[in-house]
Amino acid sequence: MINQQLAELSNLALVVAIVLYVLALIGFAADLASSSQRRSDARLAAREAREAERAPQPATIGAGGASAGGAAIHGAEEAAPAPDAGADGPAPGTMTAQRFAFLLAGAATVLHIAGVVTRAIATQRVPWANMYEFATTSTAVVMVAFLAFCIRRAELRALGTFVVGPVLVVLLLAQTFWIVPAAALTPSLQNSHWLVIHISVAILATALSILGAVVASLQLLQSRHERALVQRAADGEEHPEHWGRFGHVLDRLPASSVLESLSFRVHSVAFVCWTFTLIFGAVWARDAWGRFWGWDPKEVWTFIIWVIYAAYLHARATGGFRGSRAAWVALAGFLAVVFNYTIVNTVINGLHSYSGL
Amino acid sequence: MSQDTRGRDESSRWSSKRELDGARPAPPSLGLRGTLLFLWRQLTSMQTALILLMLLAIAAVPGSLYPQRSVNPALTEQFLAENGRWGEILDTLGFFDVFSSPWFSAIYLLLFISLIGCIVPRVGVHLRQLRAQPPRAPSRLTRFTGYTRRELPGADADTLLQSAHRALRRSRYRTAVREETRSRSVSAERGLLRESGNLLFHISLVGVLICIAGGQLTSYRGQITVIEGDGFSNSLTQYDSFESGAWFDETELPSFRFTLEDFRATYVQPGESGTVGEPRSFEADVAVTTPGQEQREQTIEVNKPLHVDGASMYLLGNGYAPEVTVTDPEGSVVAEGPVITVPMGDTGYTSQLVIKAPDARPEQTAVVGFFLPTGTIDENGPHSLYPDALDPQLALTVHQGDLGLDSGVPQNAYEVDVTTLTQVTDENGDPVLVRLYPGQEYELPDGTTISFDGLRRYAAFDVAHDPFERWTLVCALAATGGLILSLFIPRRRLWVRVREADGGAVLEVAGLARSDDPMLEEDVSKLADSLAGEEDGAGPDGLRDSGAPTPTDDHREGSAP
Ligand code: HEM
Repeated sequence: MINQQLAELSNLALVVAIVLYVLALIGFAADLASSSQRRSDARLAAREAREAERAPQPATIGAGGASAGGAAIHGAEEAAPAPDAGADGPAPGTMTAQRFAFLLAGAATVLHIAGVVTRAIATQRVPWANMYEFATTSTAVVMVAFLAFCIRRAELRALGTFVVGPVLVVLLLAQTFWIVPAAALTPSLQNSHWLVIHISVAILATALSILGAVVASLQLLQSRHERALVQRAADGEEHPEHWGRFGHVLDRLPASSVLESLSFRVHSVAFVCWTFTLIFGAVWARDAWGRFWGWDPKEVWTFIIWVIYAAYLHARATGGFRGSRAAWVALAGFLAVVFNYTIVNTVINGLHSYSGL
Repeated sequence: MSQDTRGRDESSRWSSKRELDGARPAPPSLGLRGTLLFLWRQLTSMQTALILLMLLAIAAVPGSLYPQRSVNPALTEQFLAENGRWGEILDTLGFFDVFSSPWFSAIYLLLFISLIGCIVPRVGVHLRQLRAQPPRAPSRLTRFTGYTRRELPGADADTLLQSAHRALRRSRYRTAVREETRSRSVSAERGLLRESGNLLFHISLVGVLICIAGGQLTSYRGQITVIEGDGFSNSLTQYDSFESGAWFDETELPSFRFTLEDFRATYVQPGESGTVGEPRSFEADVAVTTPGQEQREQTIEVNKPLHVDGASMYLLGNGYAPEVTVTDPEGSVVAEGPVITVPMGDTGYTSQLVIKAPDARPEQTAVVGFFLPTGTIDENGPHSLYPDALDPQLALTVHQGDLGLDSGVPQNAYEVDVTTLTQVTDENGDPVLVRLYPGQEYELPDGTTISFDGLRRYAAFDVAHDPFERWTLVCALAATGGLILSLFIPRRRLWVRVREADGGAVLEVAGLARSDDPMLEEDVSKLADSLAGEEDGAGPDGLRDSGAPTPTDDHREGSAP
């Protein structure tokens, strides 16, 4: 029933993908480091110009602050030109560290997906019946989502380090601690199309939560950084510096308002996915256990995650909570997601305890 | 300037929630009524909703960390026994019934009161907004998103205004054309559906809560155990256990009957991948009869319940029922037929067996021990190695004495207290250990005989029904629909102002975003371009999609490499 050779092939693909991710991570990090060194006075001047330009700009009356965000997008573009477009950057077509990393990440993702798919073929079922499969599949989704965002908006490639890094950590955890041999499903996971729907949506939701948390953390760092720089500029420093090398890395990244609206978009899609996860999970639970909700630990935690993300969306629309405070709420939501997949799966024993773990 | 203020007023009034947003300070000393009003405003403010949501999340946490009585009563008792005083304190605080504890209930009830208090006025405001005309253009458009000003010598102000109006209508804006001092303007508005969706979402949440409460009151759930070959007909007396809501009416129990014809289980065999002995499949073949319908055959599996009108039946457990006959020393049969054994939870399905024979003479007799599907007896005592019945056997001891069945205290059929009984011993005084294979009979020294006549399986089902279940799902899906509208429909306003200037016209266009709306700026300038272009005789290009961005419009910034 289980095709062991294919299962081994799947494993091999994932191991090679991990190696490629490591290389991609090095590339992304090197790019950040080098570009932060290339930071020129010109760029600084551009930022000052941006601040000057932004100050008299009318604040939007709306909750979203879309027009301020729009202005900031342009500002970010000036401040952080794509590496091969900037005056001091290499000519187009040459291999920059970032492009190299991006291609590697792409290749790694292809292998990663191949690993997930071969595992599915080997076991003749969907590849998410245990923690190992759940982790490998959801990280693949994170990478696909990230690459998709990057293809649409090249400046987001600068976030590569912060996406590939966590993905790598999860994959390594999966490969060392959670790995279980390919096997068929236990009866409670069998013959339910709701399994496929519920868990695929859960994977998507998890992946988006990871991505959202990355963006929200960067947003928090960036806004602190920006505030410090503005403060120093106001104190009369001509070339304000803050957080040394890491500050230079942040200078490379989009402005905090851009990150904020990106974080909101990612989180709002994530929230819709969590909502569907809850609903489909309830439908499946009714088919399997005869009740749609029973406060099983896994259900409790999905509920908690959902409520926290609802609070995040609320916070974003509540005066005094917009911006950084809302971002903290989003990170609390991510903490709940992490808890749900680590402690709840391993320590707390419920009906959802996966076979083999 | 005065007009400007009016414009601002308008735009802050545009959102119904602005008015509700944030608590306004209570005027000093308003008496009881004022204080109540103040408290009500506090309760229905966004901050309160936010805090209550966070509290709800935090309050749910102990519900996953401590065993819950409603989920796992046995584990709860164990925890209480192990933790003594600390356990008692936690119990008093409701930590083992978190989801029905006063504090958890208080949080969600406050949240929903706040929610209702928040929705009701918003619905009113929103309905008025739906009927109202888009508000007047602010006198100074320069402060708004994407402000564009074009001087068009030779242009006709009337035509310009008309084509602006037409273009906006075509892009599904609600519009209003207004005369102003020395100019005319089109106000356009789109995305009211966002607020409708938001209201639908919040209202449906209330619906979900009501349906869940309704379900609690009217649903029922019972456990039954059926041995292969036996039947079940639905009535309260047939249940091993049964619980129902306060409004449940016994007469609503649907009448249906079924026979369990066959039960099959398969397990991971040695040599297969996976953990040996782990279950692969459970299947119960039943023949069901419902009133007015032909008998039908169905296989119930995990995840594949049986549905009849008014009830569903779920396969939740199974085990072995060995057929055992006990004859007392006087020769009368005191126990006969299949006995339901209780699996102990190991992979091998070692199962506990209890037979009570109160009619045995000269003394009442209890037979206790184990059924072993693939049995072995070693230093760990009798246990089973594999869950399938490859080498079925019984390992039993026999006890005699007063079973206490007449004491009036209800007894669990699957348990007996042997400490008050005397164990049957052989001539050396050692306890008699009976080991039986199918077809065998064993005679004890006193003449009692026990025979293992055959083996059947049994299946345990839950029969349950929640009349509100369907409506809960409908409300949940409606909420999701509303949520999607509310999150992804941009809400915005656009204004076009045309003023006649000597020999031509001056065109001004600007927009206001009321939600994340990265396309607004581009849409405004596109509209301005196309209006200006039309006047220049370049034709009405781009008009059609001026307000309806295609997804590909989205990467202004993406073209860098
Ligand atoms: C049962 C608890 C509640 C939950 C789970 C919840 C959830 C949400 C979510 C997820 C959103 C963002 C999506 C959307 O815009 O529709 C939202 C928005 C909103 N909620 Fe709630 N909510 C709750 C209670 C309340 C209460 C009590 C109020 C009134 C104070 C309220 C007022 C609002 C408002 C005004 C918005 C719109 C924010 C905006 O996007 O501008 N909600 N709510």
